[in-house]
Amino acid sequence: MEKILEIALSKAQEAEVYRVRKQVTTVKFQANRIKSIDSLFEDGVGLRVIKGGRIGFSSANNLKDARNLVDRALSSSQFGQKAYFHFPSPAEVLSVQCFDPQVSSLKVEDMVEEGERAISLITEQEPQFSCEGELEKAEFEVRILNSSGLDESYKKTEYAFFLYAFLAKEEGFLGIEEGESGCSYQEYSSLIAERILKAIDLAKNNVKIPPGSYRAIFTSKAMPLLLQSLKSGINGKLVQKKSSPLVEKIGKPIVCPVVNILDDGLFPFALGSRPIDGEGIPSRRTQIIKDGVLKNFIYDLQTASMMKSESTANATRSYNSLPSPSTTNLILEPGDASLEEMIKDIKEGIIVDQVIGSGQGNELTGEFSVNLDLGYKVEEGKIKGRVKDVMISGNAYKLLNKVIAVGKEARFVGTVKTPPVYFEKVTVAG
Amino acid sequence: MKVYLTSCLEKIKAKYAEIRYEERRITRVHYVGKELEFIGESETRGGGIRVQGKNGWSFISFNKLEKLKDYLNEAARQACIARGREVRLAPAHPRVEVIRAKVKKDPRQISLEEKYHLCTRYNQLLLSPKKVQSSSLRYFDVHTVKYFANTEGTYIEQERVDTIIGMTAIARDGINIQFAHEGIGGTGGYELVEGLEDKAEEVSRRAVELLEAEPASAGKYTVVVDPKLSGVFAHEAFGHLSEADFLYENDRLREIMQLGRRFGPPELNIVDEAPIEGQSGYYLYDDEGVPAQKTYLIKEGKLVGYLHSRETAAKMGAQPTGNARAISYRYPPIVRMSNTYIEPQGKSKEEIISEVEEGIYARGFRGGQTNLEMFTFCPEEGYLIKKGKLVKKIRDFNLTGNIFTTLFNIEAIGDDFVLFGGPGGCGKAGQSPLPVSTGGPHLRIREVIVGGV
Repeated sequence: MEKILEIALSKAQEAEVYRVRKQVTTVKFQANRIKSIDSLFEDGVGLRVIKGGRIGFSSANNLKDARNLVDRALSSSQFGQKAYFHFPSPAEVLSVQCFDPQVSSLKVEDMVEEGERAISLITEQEPQFSCEGELEKAEFEVRILNSSGLDESYKKTEYAFFLYAFLAKEEGFLGIEEGESGCSYQEYSSLIAERILKAIDLAKNNVKIPPGSYRAIFTSKAMPLLLQSLKSGINGKLVQKKSSPLVEKIGKPIVCPVVNILDDGLFPFALGSRPIDGEGIPSRRTQIIKDGVLKNFIYDLQTASMMKSESTANATRSYNSLPSPSTTNLILEPGDASLEEMIKDIKEGIIVDQVIGSGQGNELTGEFSVNLDLGYKVEEGKIKGRVKDVMISGNAYKLLNKVIAVGKEARFVGTVKTPPVYFEKVTVAG
Repeated sequence: MKVYLTSCLEKIKAKYAEIRYEERRITRVHYVGKELEFIGESETRGGGIRVQGKNGWSFISFNKLEKLKDYLNEAARQACIARGREVRLAPAHPRVEVIRAKVKKDPRQISLEEKYHLCTRYNQLLLSPKKVQSSSLRYFDVHTVKYFANTEGTYIEQERVDTIIGMTAIARDGINIQFAHEGIGGTGGYELVEGLEDKAEEVSRRAVELLEAEPASAGKYTVVVDPKLSGVFAHEAFGHLSEADFLYENDRLREIMQLGRRFGPPELNIVDEAPIEGQSGYYLYDDEGVPAQKTYLIKEGKLVGYLHSRETAAKMGAQPTGNARAISYRYPPIVRMSNTYIEPQGKSKEEIISEVEEGIYARGFRGGQTNLEMFTFCPEEGYLIKKGKLVKKIRDFNLTGNIFTTLFNIEAIGDDFVLFGGPGGCGKAGQSPLPVSTGGPHLRIREVIVGGV
């Protein structure tokens, strides 16, 4: 890496080398049995240069060819984007818990057993269901070296378990997906099996719902559908391009006062945590929404500088891409309502748990329109059964402006931690 | 390469093993709004090996070819830990073949400067209307050489060149933000992306026009879809369910999906066909070294075929169809579609629309998804149809249906036909985007659920 930096600096004014070494092992299950054990060994490097005030970039996964890599990065800088920043100098880095030795020492055999345990918990009670899924452990090492003297590296582990239980019947299919992930090892099999069994039980009867507007609870699993629009809206790059609807909204209320959201790159053992971002800026917490008021956008160095602000340590990248702002862990702070209380409050409404067709509409403006893959009808405070073959639609921003209650039990779904949220109105068509 | 790969395979102790190795050179140009986000070239090299154990598989992907023997040993070890069902493969004739790409204008011969100017010109056109706030223009050309060798004596080298451009215009009026997109290109050279000035202008015009459209009202409608949506419909509403890896180990689903079952009207034919030159889903051999072919999934309204890998074919007593594909060396091959389409029939587009008393004409596509029973397919824009005439432009709606009922509701199949590729593609089992093309004629479908306000 030092050599690449040295060669690059003989022609460019500034340079940065980013290397990722990664090892992943995945145990895959299909039709209730183990199907495959897969591994990935990856080693790649990305070179960013600033020459004549312009950014150049190239990447390779063959480190032997340093000269070629440098030449390609230099030639890309001829036309590249104007650089509005300098590579950062070393700064104090907080220690962040994102490495668990238990993950790296975890044996494949143990992962196989853990998967089999979860599946047998489900199939013992529900023998007609067929489960597929995977357990994955990953270990990687990131190092950033730049011409301002920064030389930072960190190690990170990830562990994830996903399971999908499926039942095909002539009158209709039922598929339930559940999962957990993070940087540390935890035994998830009983938790995941328990959630799936509970959903199977609730979805036993199908019930009809007439088209109309209804109160709705979005579970933690379904909330990312609504938060996705906000994620794009606060993205410094989209703000800088003026394609975010939140431009000029800083300091203004954009959602209900019960909504508090932060981006937290320091959350212990959360999937999005890391000591530094993709440009070497020390990770931090950034308040996004406080009591419904928009507080901050998220930036990398380039977009921050263009917006006359500073990086929020949200530069995200892989070795083969330029950094770009993206949330680390997006946390929707819990409220005080339990799920039971929310359900009890509903005279006639729905619970949204899984959808299909998300991310295909006009995500920027918040419009969504999705098929309810797994959802339930609530009548007089009780879950009556599964609702299917309907479309639900609305606008994420409008929904977040009509929140009746925020749940108190939050959980991570990937890099988003959210409780269930109870809304005044969604449109149901079918 | 052939000597090295085959010599590594000779010593492995396993029933079956295969090596794939890939060299890829990619040039990208990416504009977002006025700013050139990225321009440059990169190279990736890597391989994937798959080893069959008695009761399962192991797959390992890697960058360091010199350590291939170590990885093969590790894969053989891991394959023994897999204690699932017995794995069998349908026979495939050993083949040795070297395929070179046929390209008119090799993008590797075009300078970065020329590509820069082309993209800059298109991007300026996208941004030219006053109401267009931003754009996204993604150009890429990819030169790939794929090597495949297995323990049965098959050795295939395939070269391909893809040249693709994706153009998006984002128009804005206050808080109303609308966008239009067009993807162009596929397997082929630089000629595929030249002369697209009119297209760029059209895309930005479409985005601006969408600002004036009204949000659609939710409900059940008779919907006429254009060839773009018709293709996504074929892909989502039926294609995925015909992928045999969903079926082969699920007896209940196999019963439901029995050959001969009627899914739609007698005029309905749905096909998957990889060997169509120029299309995004074009290839001659799949990633198991099996020749690609044309497969009817639905013929005259009845289910007549599935898409197979060697493993699913063995289990279901069928022939492999050459549909085992991986998006790159980092992933194992799984059953995928290639170019999937609905065959045209006799009705003109005008007739199809004019016969609608009240309904929606939906155009362009933003994506689709399925859970094997229900599916969504999302148009870019639409028009309300009243008494056979297009009366009002509408936006922000999504279409959904049930695979087992909606295909029966197809009441008219058009006489036109277009296949679309471009950037983007299909996602399955974490592998996305896989280049595919989809297409068909105009269709009219009854009782489609439309999600809107």
